[in-house]
Amino acid sequence: MKTALISDIKRFAVHDGPGIRTTVFFKGCPLKCRWCHNPEGISFKPQLAFYENKCIGCGECKKDGFTAQDCLGEARVLYGKETTVEELLPSLLEDKDFYETSGGGVTLSGGECLCQGDFCAELLQALKNEGIHTAVDTCGFVARDALHKVIPYTDIFLYDIKAIDEDVHIKCTGQSNKIILENIRYLDSLGKAIEVRIPYVPEYNADQIEKIAEFLRALKNVQAVKVLPYHNYAGSKYAALDMENTLPKILPTEEEIKKAEALLVRP
Amino acid sequence: MINNADKSYITQKYHDPKKEFNPHRRFIRRDEIFDSTSGMDPDAIIAGIWEQDALCKDLPHPVRKAKAFAYVLKNTRISCDKRDIFPAINMIDRPLNRTVIAAWKKEVFGEIIPEVEKKRAYMLSNGIATIRPDYDHSVPVWERLLNLGFTGLLQESELARSQRTVLTPEQTAFFDGIKITYSAILDFTHRLEQQAKTDGNLRMAEALRHISEQPPESFYEALLVDYLYFMLCEHIEGMQVRSLSNFDRLFYKFYKSDLEKGVSEAQIRSDLAYFFLQFTAIGNYWNQPVYLGGCKEDESTQINALSYLFLDVYDKLRIYSPKIQIKIADSTPKDFVLKALDMIRRGNNSIVLVNDATIRKALEKAGATRSQARLCDIKGCYEYAVQGAIVSEMNYVNLLKPLEYALHRGCDGITGNFAGRKSPDAATYQSFEAFFAEYKKQLGFLIDQVIDTVNAFEDYLSYVNPQSMLSATSAACVSRGKDILAGGAEQNITVMEFGFMADIADSLTMIKKYVFDKKMLTLAQLRDILDGDFEGNERLRRIFLADRDKFGNNKPLPDALAKEIAEFVCGKVWGRPNAKVRNGTWDLGFHVARQSYEQAPHTASSPNGRLRGEELSKNMSASMGMNREGATAAILSVTKIDATAFAGDATLDMGLLPSAVKGEEGLEAMYGLLMTFIKRGGHAMHINVFDADTLRAAQKEPEKYQDLQIRVCGWNVLFNNISKEEQDGFIRQAEALI
Repeated sequence: MKTALISDIKRFAVHDGPGIRTTVFFKGCPLKCRWCHNPEGISFKPQLAFYENKCIGCGECKKDGFTAQDCLGEARVLYGKETTVEELLPSLLEDKDFYETSGGGVTLSGGECLCQGDFCAELLQALKNEGIHTAVDTCGFVARDALHKVIPYTDIFLYDIKAIDEDVHIKCTGQSNKIILENIRYLDSLGKAIEVRIPYVPEYNADQIEKIAEFLRALKNVQAVKVLPYHNYAGSKYAALDMENTLPKILPTEEEIKKAEALLVRP
Repeated sequence: MINNADKSYITQKYHDPKKEFNPHRRFIRRDEIFDSTSGMDPDAIIAGIWEQDALCKDLPHPVRKAKAFAYVLKNTRISCDKRDIFPAINMIDRPLNRTVIAAWKKEVFGEIIPEVEKKRAYMLSNGIATIRPDYDHSVPVWERLLNLGFTGLLQESELARSQRTVLTPEQTAFFDGIKITYSAILDFTHRLEQQAKTDGNLRMAEALRHISEQPPESFYEALLVDYLYFMLCEHIEGMQVRSLSNFDRLFYKFYKSDLEKGVSEAQIRSDLAYFFLQFTAIGNYWNQPVYLGGCKEDESTQINALSYLFLDVYDKLRIYSPKIQIKIADSTPKDFVLKALDMIRRGNNSIVLVNDATIRKALEKAGATRSQARLCDIKGCYEYAVQGAIVSEMNYVNLLKPLEYALHRGCDGITGNFAGRKSPDAATYQSFEAFFAEYKKQLGFLIDQVIDTVNAFEDYLSYVNPQSMLSATSAACVSRGKDILAGGAEQNITVMEFGFMADIADSLTMIKKYVFDKKMLTLAQLRDILDGDFEGNERLRRIFLADRDKFGNNKPLPDALAKEIAEFVCGKVWGRPNAKVRNGTWDLGFHVARQSYEQAPHTASSPNGRLRGEELSKNMSASMGMNREGATAAILSVTKIDATAFAGDATLDMGLLPSAVKGEEGLEAMYGLLMTFIKRGGHAMHINVFDADTLRAAQKEPEKYQDLQIRVCGWNVLFNNISKEEQDGFIRQAEALI
């Protein structure tokens, strides 16, 4: 039985693909986006976060054998739980009625879910066996092999593109975008449904929007393009995880988002 | 639609904006706007009612009350100001409730059945059950009122009287009451017409003349009849009118005929805006319900052009009373539902979404025909009934009290007084099942007490407050010659409302897990800790609070316990005979109204970690701040309970974050939630879209959030107008949203 490290499961996810969905967040990501709003998804190891504002001083965490579940104020949160498809599936099927009514389903996200590609393939196959619509939310910085494994069981890819210029991409994420752009072209050539998602971060990729638009014009199977306005709500998570907060300061204006959408979003 | 000067006049018509407004005070009126030559001084009218009644002591109550009613209508000051299209009536401070009704109530509860009153008062003051004679939940048969008008109803009653060869004294009194009452209404309408002429309000004068002679013909006349019925019945006759009808169904013919006659849609929109504002202006905290939607006979949708127009006008006014309930069926157009959901997410959260199939099935189970069930009307915050039924329901039972009794050998957890049934000491229970069985015995004992008490005083409902206005709208009452409160109604139902399902299910879950399964402490120890309000045991309380096995989160154990309790109370209550005079049956629901706050101080701390006095759970929703698994889980939990098993409400109060419902996807997601709720057989859902940050900001700087409204528990309020404690409750609820 394969296992995976999961950081969270979110029910009633409404912005992760069509309809009402349950999103599984996998732990670990090959990119280090400066604006990452899921910093708990970056490390490939379990992390015990501490939300100081919730601490009631119960002292449970000072005892031997303490686990996050023992924290009475729910201030300690364990991101990173080893799980199997068998364990995971029942909770993903709980909202089946909602998927059916709304045209929703299950989304695998992260972190980068395809870093745990074998597990994803097994999970997606199990979901398809149950008749569930599946989406894979990926940064695209993954081995072609991992993509291949999930392609047969994925109804739609939610594919992030952050920049076209390689140097900008490295500055934003620490990695080249070569593989990312190749992979999306490949998926497109197979006729897979793709929704492209572009985080708009004024300090980093405002000048990339036109270039992204041009890049996307060459693709045939992009069903939708969404601009995700950068927000800085994740600050408390960085603190709770004791990670360096790399969140940019400047938020996009509504006008900027509208302009980007006008360039990118297809009718 | 409406200009600011008119809007300002109407919204100040019943209240002086310079004086503090308390929506919970029923006895309000505003004297300054009335010309003193248009009628008598209000205090003189009250004195006059007493003087007149003193001369009628030998007459039966329906006649005495009708005479008092007629006296008020003859003498009250009135105004037909040109800034309004509906007349203003001075004596809206429930003059009969303060005179004859109050006297008869005192006679019944003080002299005739004092022992029943003693029991009732004991239950009330100890938070066991809040029960009172219900003159708050009536719905006329709007169809007959609008088709026959005031004149037609009077004629029909007189015809029914003339067709009887023998009349009992009760029947004579019944018909006399209607005759005096409706003659007074017609005279009053004439008087209003004259006043409208004096005030230069010629359109109003003409419409008043028309409806004093015949049934309404135009949309405006129908609105006038609806408004006058409401004002006179609720504010003078002393019986609250809890609906403005299934509006789109009944008003469509007037709307259509007006358009055909060349009346502009703009005129209809404007009339509707003035109509809505009357109810906003009255400002009763419970808001004024009105239905939209449902199905036609062939099951096609009842939604029509007027339904859309209705929502449009409402949306533009940014008001919360009237409050709209939409009957959603398979045939309800999606774009209409999306329109309503979009309004809700923009803050119009007074809109409630009701499952047409569920309420119809529940009513049919209770004996309604298919057609009666289909045409049922809203009769409260979420409650519904067939037209012409009378359903009394102000019987709120605290589901946590039997737990206190089971833990304390039948004694109250706060006062220590023996109030339940005798039961063994907490230390003696060997299994959870044995303890749960005792809980149910205590609950059954409480139900029996409530039924005995309510049945005893409901025999006197019509003696205290006979209903001429309402009875005349019911064909059944008129043909039987019987008051609607004395068994004349089509259906005579008494409802027991059970409060705090989530708190009891969660409490029993904690007892099972920590006392009987994990054996962390004994039941006797838990009892002592609860008696001490968790003092010195904060750690244990935190364990209970942090435990995720809570109702409203799709967790098997608490949900199964809630279901078992629902089925148990259904078996104990549904179909039991109610008062002899009413000759009907009991039904049940899970509506808490204000009891989450009112019974809270009298309810001991509970094993789910709730401290003594803290707010209790609402309707069928998770206990305060405990919906941690989100919207879908809340729906899955509540729909495990069969809402068609009883014709009462099992409402889900849904909180959603603004971020979850933004954009087209968010709207579709709301629709998906709603339709799954409907598909799974839920009864009604209302949605608050808010986040904790906004509520905290509003608490801090109320002046910046003057129009922020919150749905409380069947009605809406401005966030600024509720107590800090209640605001904190909403903030806790919002904090738990995911």
